[in-house]
Amino acid sequence: MIHIVDSLNKSEHAALLEAMFRLRKRVFHDRLGWDVVIRDGREIDAFDDLDPAHVISVDDQGQVVGCMRLLQTTGPHMLADVFSSILDGEPPLRSATLWEATRFCVDTARLGSGRGPNTISHVTSEVMIGAFEYGMAAGITDAVAVIDPVMDRVLKRSGNAPHGYLGSPKPMGKVTALAALMDVSDERIRSIRDFAGIHYDVFAPQPHRIAAE
Amino acid sequence: MDLIDLSTRRGSTEDFEDFLRRLCARLGVDYASYATINPVSGAVQGYATYGEAWKRHYMDQRLHLIDPTLHKPALSIAPVDWSRFDRDAQFRKVFDAARDFGVASQGITVPIRGPWGDRGLLSVTAAMSDHDWRLLTRQMVGDLQMAAVHMHDAVMRSGLLLPQMALPQLSAREREVLQWVAAGKNQQDVGDILGISIRTVEVHLRSAREKLGALTTVQAVGRAVAMGLIHPR
Repeated sequence: MIHIVDSLNKSEHAALLEAMFRLRKRVFHDRLGWDVVIRDGREIDAFDDLDPAHVISVDDQGQVVGCMRLLQTTGPHMLADVFSSILDGEPPLRSATLWEATRFCVDTARLGSGRGPNTISHVTSEVMIGAFEYGMAAGITDAVAVIDPVMDRVLKRSGNAPHGYLGSPKPMGKVTALAALMDVSDERIRSIRDFAGIHYDVFAPQPHRIAAE
Repeated sequence: MDLIDLSTRRGSTEDFEDFLRRLCARLGVDYASYATINPVSGAVQGYATYGEAWKRHYMDQRLHLIDPTLHKPALSIAPVDWSRFDRDAQFRKVFDAARDFGVASQGITVPIRGPWGDRGLLSVTAAMSDHDWRLLTRQMVGDLQMAAVHMHDAVMRSGLLLPQMALPQLSAREREVLQWVAAGKNQQDVGDILGISIRTVEVHLRSAREKLGALTTVQAVGRAVAMGLIHPR
């Protein structure tokens, strides 16, 4: 089940955010060895202070098992300001209908392999569906995601292959990081849903309407 | 905190109100407005196609101080439908009055962020059934995104808000330091060349980064070059 948590509703979702920052620490610091700052067991950076939206996947037991951070590319974002080396000196893309996805991860220690609920593949797809449907409702047409080669392969295998890449892969801790481009479209969402067998509404009940839903 | 109708300011190079009026006609909505918060003075500045009576009431009552559509959507990366404020007492206070002036409480606000951390808000309202409003918002939200970024960038470029935001005021020393960094010198080299300590080089660099709204030195150099503030050879 997907929660969209941003600076408008974060006071209602403090526990979710806390668990998400701890998941990010386990993945990006402990497992992938990225050069990230850890405070009190949580991975939080300057972009978390810029009012991003977090797409957070929660399992049946209420545990945070996946997440992704979204920022507008019209404003400060990681490819413009931190990951610019990936772009080989080219200026970053900037568009009102292009969102940047960063800190995309799932809890590989808790989730199994294979298909079906509570698997890495399933939660990855659920987070992507949540992000793309949230983007569609906001009038977004494209996404650029900073991911590692493992996530890139997962996407390619799950009906969600990036249609292109910006710049070239660059070393980032124990792995490399690359900037993948994906269209935000009904076709892509349908393809991910078909692959994952997810035909339900992924969003947790909201007290309000999400953008132009 | 003041509320400033930018259309009353001299020196505007573009007719922003006309842009908003044409946007309303194209999308089939009643009114449109654009607002941004001046990062220095904190004043709310903008344009609106609302009638004079509602504008006067809004300014006289200083409703901008409590209007959640002016303060909350900037926290979101996605457009915010005003139905989200249905149970917000301050929203009700502003928009229950609006009805008497022919302004609907049905609206959507598109937040836009600029590279300097600046934020702008484009809002449209229309009186129609909830069903029709949902259909219309779904259909126009992409157009609204494009209109919002166009409007925001144009207002920022106009220099009406803050001329120095259009062109950061770098000191000669800051320009010198950036110039040498752009030429590939490290901080020790720059200090030796200019006869100043490494620490002083760092202070100038940090200041230049902040003025340019850059998080990294590489980015600050890039922006300074792009703005013609330094000229690497």
